[in-house]
Amino acid sequence: MFISGFRYILAETFKGLFRNRWMCVTSTGVVVVTLLMLGLFMLVNFNVGYITDTVKEQVEIVIYVDDNANSSQLADLEKRISGHPGVAEARYVSSEEHMDRLQRQLGGMLEGYDADLENPLLASYEVRTVIPENVVEIAREFEGYPGVSTVFYGQGYVENLFSVTRIIQLVGLALMIGLSITAVFLISHTIKLTVMMRKKEISIMKYVGATNWFIRWPFLLEGLLMGFAGAVMPLVALYFIYQYSVEWVVINNLMFINLLPVEQVIIELAKYLVPLGTALGILGSTFSMGRFLRV
Amino acid sequence: MVEAKNMCMRYNKCGDNALEDISFFIDRGEFVFFVGSSGAGKSTLLKLVIRELRPTEGELKVFGRDVGRLPRHRLPYLRRNIGMVFQDFRLIEERTAYDNVAFAMMVTGATRSEIRKRVPHVLGLVGLQDKAGARICDLSGGEQQRAGLARAIANRPAMIIADEPTGNLDPGTTLDIMNLLRSINLRGTTVLVATHNRDIVDRFKKRVLYLENGRLVGDEQKGIYTHVH
Repeated sequence: MFISGFRYILAETFKGLFRNRWMCVTSTGVVVVTLLMLGLFMLVNFNVGYITDTVKEQVEIVIYVDDNANSSQLADLEKRISGHPGVAEARYVSSEEHMDRLQRQLGGMLEGYDADLENPLLASYEVRTVIPENVVEIAREFEGYPGVSTVFYGQGYVENLFSVTRIIQLVGLALMIGLSITAVFLISHTIKLTVMMRKKEISIMKYVGATNWFIRWPFLLEGLLMGFAGAVMPLVALYFIYQYSVEWVVINNLMFINLLPVEQVIIELAKYLVPLGTALGILGSTFSMGRFLRV
Repeated sequence: MVEAKNMCMRYNKCGDNALEDISFFIDRGEFVFFVGSSGAGKSTLLKLVIRELRPTEGELKVFGRDVGRLPRHRLPYLRRNIGMVFQDFRLIEERTAYDNVAFAMMVTGATRSEIRKRVPHVLGLVGLQDKAGARICDLSGGEQQRAGLARAIANRPAMIIADEPTGNLDPGTTLDIMNLLRSINLRGTTVLVATHNRDIVDRFKKRVLYLENGRLVGDEQKGIYTHVH
């Protein structure tokens, strides 16, 4: 009986999909379009997040050491920087190293200049913070500290960067939530139409003594398959769209736009879209059937 | 087999009773007509027997169980013992007669070999052996109701409930269907028929329960529609 029931459920699932093929195509189409929109947005959001993270990682504090600082002040400053819990990495750059860098940057322009005799550049500590957003707070802690001349962290620019990325993240989150809600709404309504078209069949099943689960299974499997197909198709489309975009960036020498690798993005998208599409299909079927089972 | 004690049924709290203080007992193997004009409560009564509705007061026992207290998950097992025949047939039109009967057996967990044996047999009993492969939408009204009857008896139910089974049929076909119901009854199946077809009730001379405005106003063995009325 179990095998017979299982075979029946499987057969009914595929028969149901075939019999109501246009409705199924419509339902799956709705899932595809909605998840494609969601996926496209996620694609953009992933990359915006990646680019801003990369930029944030480059944000650093430069603490210039006062020329007149005595050795105990310097030792205290070094201890304070390296022992700070918010500091991920601190590197001491001597005034000579600054001069070398400057000479490299300016090429031959400083030729003949004797850096050993007259070096106006200050030694510094280049500090990276554990959390990039804490740059301003940590920089201010060192301003006016004994042995410190000036502290530079890209004042103005860093604050703007953080507020812009915060806005992008918030807008992204709001859009993703909005699109997900729209997807649930559209999919459950479309599947409800599929179930409504078969309400006579369901009521007959109830009259002849079918259990609710016996009736539900084929619909749940249909919902699952439609949701799965509706997630895989946009995933394939997004793969090609993204691959083309990455190639376009390379061809047009826009290498400063640092995009995530294609495989990594598609795997990340699949982790969201496939379970989401499948769950939407199953939930859509479940919610849509409730009323028709009360015969 | 079916026993009602002071049963009442109201569709909503403020409305009048659709059925009022109904009491009767139907024994195993009986053939009973429920008669009365439209709105008398015939269909409501049958819906109570299959627990599509619950009595608001009193008690209704089917196969010895109070259906008003029957938990929802037990409902399919009650209905597997009752074959339903409807005025509008309620068949899946785009499927064949064979499929419709097989469908009723499949949902109750019958094996494929049981279905292969039983479906041609029941289609033969109702005279549809040659139309097994025909789609329901290609069959006449009488043939569709025969398919409905075949589906109703496929699971060997102890009782058949027919709600206006001949309401959409011409007189000749009506008689065929009623004869089929009688032959099913002769094999030991209890048959309950709701109808307002006077000729049929008078011709068959079976037990008649007469309903009027939700009340049971007559119960006569070998009754005649006009006598009871």
